[in-house]
Order: sequence, then structure tokens, then C-alpha cells
Amino acid sequence: MDGLIELVPLPYTDAVVALGALVLGVVSGVLGTLAVLRERSLVGDALSHAALPGVCLAFLFTGAKDPAALLAGAACAGLVAAACMVGIERGGRIRADAAIGVVLSSAFSVGIVLLTAIQNRPDADQAGLDRYLFGQAAGLSADDVLVTGLIGLAGLTLVAVGFRALKTTLFDPAFAAAAGLRVRALELGMTALLVIAVLVGIRMVGAILMVAMLVAPGVAARQLADRLVTLLPLAGAIGAAVGVTGALLSSSAHVPTGPVIALVAFAVVAAALAFSPGRGVVWRAMRLTHDRRRALADGVLVDLETALHAGPPPTVAELRALTARPSRELRRGLRLLRGAGLVDRAGDRLLLTEAGAEAAGAQLARRDDWSLWLEHGARLELPDAREPDPRDLAGSIGADAVARLRALA
Amino acid sequence: MSSPALEVRRLSVSYGRRPVLWDVDATFPAGGLSAIVGPNGAGKSTLLKAALGLVPSDSGQALVLGRPARSALDSVAYVPQREAVDWDFPATVREVVEMGRYRSAGWLRRLRRSDRAIVDEAIERVGMAPFAKRQIGRLSGGQRQRVFLARALAQEAPVLLMDEPFAGVDARTEAALVGLLADLRDGGRSVVVVHHDLGTVRRAFEWALVLNVRTVACGPVEEVIVPATLAKAYGAGTGDDSDEEEELAWTA
Amino acid sequence: MSPADWQIMVTAGLVATACGLLGPFLVLRRVALLGDAVSHAVLPGIVATFLLFETRAPLPVIGGAAVFAVLCVLLIDALRSTGLVKADAAIGLVFPALFSLGVLGVHQWTANLHLDLDATIYGEIAFVPLDPWIVAGIELPRAAWTMLAVVALDLALVVALWKELKLTSFDPEFARSVLISPRVLSRLLLVAVAITAVTAFESVGAILVVTLLIVPAATARLLTDRLWLTVALAVAVGWVAAIGGYATAVRFDASIAGAMGVVAAVCFTLAFAGRSLVLARKRTLQSAS
Repeated sequence: MDGLIELVPLPYTDAVVALGALVLGVVSGVLGTLAVLRERSLVGDALSHAALPGVCLAFLFTGAKDPAALLAGAACAGLVAAACMVGIERGGRIRADAAIGVVLSSAFSVGIVLLTAIQNRPDADQAGLDRYLFGQAAGLSADDVLVTGLIGLAGLTLVAVGFRALKTTLFDPAFAAAAGLRVRALELGMTALLVIAVLVGIRMVGAILMVAMLVAPGVAARQLADRLVTLLPLAGAIGAAVGVTGALLSSSAHVPTGPVIALVAFAVVAAALAFSPGRGVVWRAMRLTHDRRRALADGVLVDLETALHAGPPPTVAELRALTARPSRELRRGLRLLRGAGLVDRAGDRLLLTEAGAEAAGAQLARRDDWSLWLEHGARLELPDAREPDPRDLAGSIGADAVARLRALA
Repeated sequence: MSSPALEVRRLSVSYGRRPVLWDVDATFPAGGLSAIVGPNGAGKSTLLKAALGLVPSDSGQALVLGRPARSALDSVAYVPQREAVDWDFPATVREVVEMGRYRSAGWLRRLRRSDRAIVDEAIERVGMAPFAKRQIGRLSGGQRQRVFLARALAQEAPVLLMDEPFAGVDARTEAALVGLLADLRDGGRSVVVVHHDLGTVRRAFEWALVLNVRTVACGPVEEVIVPATLAKAYGAGTGDDSDEEEELAWTA
Repeated sequence: MSPADWQIMVTAGLVATACGLLGPFLVLRRVALLGDAVSHAVLPGIVATFLLFETRAPLPVIGGAAVFAVLCVLLIDALRSTGLVKADAAIGLVFPALFSLGVLGVHQWTANLHLDLDATIYGEIAFVPLDPWIVAGIELPRAAWTMLAVVALDLALVVALWKELKLTSFDPEFARSVLISPRVLSRLLLVAVAITAVTAFESVGAILVVTLLIVPAATARLLTDRLWLTVALAVAVGWVAAIGGYATAVRFDASIAGAMGVVAAVCFTLAFAGRSLVLARKRTLQSAS
């Protein structure tokens, strides 16, 4: 382990933290994504709160602050909490978010009561028990990293082995159960791993920031990938990148690691939500503006072509009467077309330029193609399940297919 | 000449890159029972939502009784798809129907006695009076649809826009609801229904829009629901899609 | 019973009332964990107040915390309304980020000063009677007076906008078609939750507020399928937790907030078991007939 750490070109403690953040990032990225996809993002939050009564009970039983016993207690409490959440949901009426909330607040309340009970015992050395699990990442050791790595390896192996079952469960739980998949066993395994990952994570970055580590990579990855098989590795990679970046930033600025990691995670998600191609908010807004312009320009162009076909060049008012288009929209469309050099004016009459006539012809041809597709598309054999785009049939199914379509008609 | 109940002009909508509606023109007469038909993904529901401004449109305009739809929402009763809501919600049949009166009651105000009378009448009219106090989760699909229709009736709007009201509803309920819609029409209201069953459309409706991203045809049912236009919308000579064949068979 | 006992129970009951009024709507809108999110997200507000005004007096701290609480709920709402993020994930993204800002603030500027976060953010209900206010000749703890104001605010909101809240929780699309904006209602509700939570944190501690926002509402949800009864029962269960929890805490010398939470949890468990039994019996009856 130390050999590996020495390979990192950083001071020893920084290297440990960076490596730990990397491992934790991968593990929580992958496991957290599964929770995010099932709309149970805050399971990790509840599990970390449930650790408190577990630690207290372990202390009450053993009477000493033995780290292994406390961790075991926390893990058991986590599993019980997870089972409670599933049970409450299965009882009906209460949805996932409320089930998580009920378990979270009940467990933590029990923990607080136990904590006061312990404090009332004169014999016990209980100081700092409540802090045991919720401290900051300061004293991260190489052993911690090793343990995290091993858990991570176990988790990733389980995800890889059970990938198909997992995918079916996420996509269609009813089908998965009907197909005889060991849904319960798999879920139990994943939950157990999540419990352990959360326990390790809260010692490294704190309970609340662990929530960020579990949620953010999955959400960011979801904006960039559509398929589970790419989504999970991507989430792991984002988690790792976020973890390492945060760790390096925090060590160079001499501030706590956990919060920096959480803020980096948030920044990554914000960027993904804004700029992800095809989904991002900014991207969609630009697309909408562009689509609106194009739809309007194409529509007005066809209107004008139709009018010219039927009679002499129309005035704006005549065109408006012909098309029933709202006048503000019509004017805007004409402005766009004149800007593109497709429409010209002769006095107050509207004309198509040469390029405009060509564009209008192409546009009309596209519309005719779409009508043909609607009528005869079903008989057209295509090499695969590609879908037609009404605005650009040739571009979406191929010029050759359009030619065959015309022949069919 | 009275303005049409609903008129859309050059309406274009796209989701992502895909156009869902493409320069759609359609007119639905006032005082008529009209249907919007078309294959899956033809943009039928989107047409209603875009007309009411519930989804953003790329271009075009919608008019309700001659007024821009956004400022004429008080003359529209919109019935969303049943799946759109959480039926586990703690509300009774009566409470849901009362929601139809919220607009006219106004913000912050409670319902008046006259509102209650209208609600009672609407519940009575759809045959749900015995179930008025029942929680909505304990209703069948057909009963839920009746509740939604009652809510629309309670709005007392001259124009009813209904999104797939007959999907997953048993034949008896469908017949009862269609009869009720015909009564409404006879009472002077206009009804526009997104519908998938061409048989019912031919029997009970007088006006139809055949839609498939673009307007295929719009007019009286006997002129519009004919093999030629349906072939254009649903595709001619489909090999293996039994649903579409069945629908074509209805029109033969 | 001493006056202090009464005062603690009344204060907790008022917190339960405020939470019981709003909690059912959070549960129905699937954002039950909003209280938890707010409880962490207020940290930077408290730190900023301390840095700017060098005070730990209750009112400025509540003000500073409220700013970040409102920021938190509005950010969650904004993330949700992009349609790219589900409510649960939006909550899980926002509050750790805000909390991190707070932790960094503590580390950077207040490490050497004495800002005991536990005492500031997590009020302790046992100390409530130590700070009495006399208003109109009546002596009650300051926390009880502030909570009374918050209860009045929440009650006014829920009563005045009852039908709008009901409609937008049930069928947002229809609501938009009758010009009752789901977005406006959602923001009003969330801001009310933020203000309620912040005020209550300062009096009785965060975990009790989080618990009283979720557990009584979930319990009520199991017991009835009428909305007004859900709200009434949520308030009632909250009071049971407040009084029963205090009695338990005194009897066993345990944490008051913890004991109240435990009693609430017991109420939920009983309701859950009762409902399961009734459903099971119905099922056997049906299969028998």
C-alpha cells in the first residue's frame, strides 16, 4: 500500500487523502448512481444517521470504545434501517422519500436518547462518542484507503457480475421478479455494500458530504450517458475526478477536504445540467430559439410559395389573409427570410429570390416526402430500426430509401 | 357566422430535435362533437396541450371561440390523461369535482353554495352520486374517467378538450360517456376529444381531425374518416401491425 | 408539574402544530426530506451572520439562516423544474453544497473565535423556559412566542390557499389550465417550510423539527384518506409526541428532543402495524368469501 502511495508525486499525507478520495469517488459514484436511478438518492443520508444508534448500542454492549465493535454496530444498524425502509414502502401508501425520512429521523432520535442514556452512566468513558463517526477527514490512514479499496472492489465486482439482473431490476422490477431473478438477494447485497461504503465515507468526508459523493456523480453522468453500461463507469470516473480534484484543491489551499469535494461535485453537476449536449438547460434554450426561427421561416416560405403559385405576388396583408398566420409572427418570419436573402420586395409586393424559390421547392419536396412516408413508409424495408425525422427524411433514413419510397408511390 | 370552438393555425411543436407537430392547421366547429385521431406519436395530446399553452410551441397560434387561447382559458374545460395524476391522493370524488369550480371561485376564496349545487349536479350527471364520498384510489378506471368528466362539467365552460378519455375504459362506460358528450353537444357546448378508436368516431362524432405530425385531413367525419386519408395517417398495407389493420377494418 | 414543564411542552406542541400543517403537503409532493436539507443548508447563513454582525443573538441568526434556507428551497425547486433532476436528487445536490460553504466559512474565519455551532444551530429545548417574554401580561418562553407567530403564518397560508395547495399537489397540469400556477404554490409552500424550520431549529433543535415535519405526516397518511384529516391528525400526532416525549424524557432522564422523536416513531410504528393488520384481515375475508 505504502509503495503505491509513494508513486504519487505528493507529500505522504496529501497522497493518502487524494488516493482515498479517488477510491471513495469511484465506489460512491457507482453505488450512488444505482440509488439515484431508483429515486432513492437520500438513502445514504438515512444510513449515515442510522449509524448513531448502532454506535451507541455497540458501546452499551461492549462498554468500551473499540473501533471494530463500533463499526460493526453501525453496520448492523444500517442494515436494519435499510430493511425498515423497504418494509415501509412495501406496506403501501408511504413513498420512498417519506420512508427514508421516517427511518432517518426515527433512527437519529433513538440515537440521541441512547446517547443521553450513556452520558448518564457514571462509569463509562463516553466522551466523543457522537463525534466518532462524524469527524472530519483529517486523520485518514493508508489502512483506511486499503479498506475502502477492498470494499470498492467487492462492490464493483458485484455490480459487474449482477449487471444484467441489475439493469432489469432498475428498468422493470415486475418483469425481473417474474423472470425469477434473485432481485431480493441482489438488492440486499447492494444495500449492504452501500451501508459499508457510507460508513467508510462518513469517516473520510463527513456524513452530509457523503450525500454529495453519492448523488452528484450519478446525476452528472446521467446528463451525458443514456445507457446503464456507459452510465455506471462514467459515474465512477466522475466520482474519482471530483474526489481527486477536491483533495488536491483542499490540500493546496489548506482547507478541509470534504467540503471542497462537495463543492467541486456541485460545480460539475451544475455544468452538466447547463451544458450537456441534447439535454442541458442552455443547450435546450438555444435549440428552442433555433427551432422556433427555423419552423417560422420554413412555414412562411412555404406560405409565400403557395401564394405565388396561386396568383400574383401578394402584399404582406394579402399573404396574412391567405395563411391565417398571426401578423406579428408573419412579419418576423419575413424578416428572417429577407435576412437570409430568400425573399425580396418589389414595391409592397413580396417575391422569392432565386435561392428562395429553390429553398421553397426543397421544403415542399420534404413535405411531400413526409406525406409519402406516412402513406407508404410501412412497406419500405430499412436495414435497421432507424426512425424518420419529418423535417429531413432523406437525412434520417437515407437518400436511397427516399428514392425507393417514391418508387413505391 | 360564429367562431369555431377551437382553431389552430400553423402550430409547430418539437420535443428535442423531433418535430411533434408541423405547421398544423385545424378547425373544430362550435357546438360540435369532434375527434382528433391518428397513430401513436402523431402529436394528438400535444396538440391540445400546445393549444392551451401547457407546452411551449415553436410557432403558430391557437384560438378558442375566436380569442387567443391563453386569454380564453376560462371558456375551456381541459381533461388531462388519467395517468397524469396520483390516484392515491387523499381526496374524495366530490373534492376532485369541486376542483372544477376553483377558477370561478377565485384565489383565496372558498366555494359558494351555488358552486356546491353545480358540483352535485355534475356528479349526478356522470352517475357517480353514490360514490361521492369515496376516496379516488378506490375507483375503477371507468369511474375515474367519470370523475374527471364531472370535474370538467363543473367548470361550465363552453368548450371541452379531453385527452384520451376512453383509453382503458370498459365498453359500457365508453357508451355512457359518449352519450353524455352528445347531450352536451345538443346543449350547445363544443367537445373535442383525442380518441384512438375509429369505430366510435365514425358512429358518434361528426367532425374529425386526422393527424400525423401534419394535418392529414380535417372536416366532417364522413369525408375525413375514409380509407384514403387513414392510409395517409396510419400507412397503407401494413404487414404485421394488427392494431392498425383492425382500425382500418372499422372503416371498411 | 412546574411551569417550566408546561412551557417546554407548549413550545414543542407549537412546533408540532407548525410542522403538522406543512408536513403532509411535503409528503404528498414527495419532498419529505426538505426539512433535513434545510437543517443543514442554514449553516452558511449562521456563519455569515456571525462574521458580519459578530453576534449570536437569536433574531439576527434566524434572519441569516432564513436567507440560506430560502435559497436552499428555491435552488431545489429550480433544479427540479429543469426536468433533468428528480426531487430526491435535487435535495441531495443542494444541501451538501450549502453546508460545505458553511463548514469552509467556519474553518476560514471563525476557527479561533468561539462559535459553538451546536449551541447556535441546534437549540436545546430544555433551555426554552430560561428566556421568558411577557406579552400582553402573559409570560411564555420567547421560543413559544416566535413559534406562535410562525404557527399563525402557516395556518393563514394553509387555510387561505387550501384549495390551491390541494389542487396543485394533486393535478398540476389541470391547475395550469385553470390558471392556478403550480410553481407559485410550490414556492410559497417551500418558503413557508424554510421559515418555519429555521425558527424552530433555533428553539428546539434541528432533528426534532426534521422529525416533526415527516413522521406525524407519514403517520396521518397511513390513518386516513381525507386531506383535512391528514393535516389534523399530523398536528395531533405531533402533540402526542410533544407531551408523551416530554413525559418519557423526564421519567428516564433522557434527551427531550430525542424522546419526542422516539414517541413520534412509536406512533408511526403503531399506525403501520394497525394498517397492515386491517389490510391482512380484509384480504383473508375476501379470499374466504
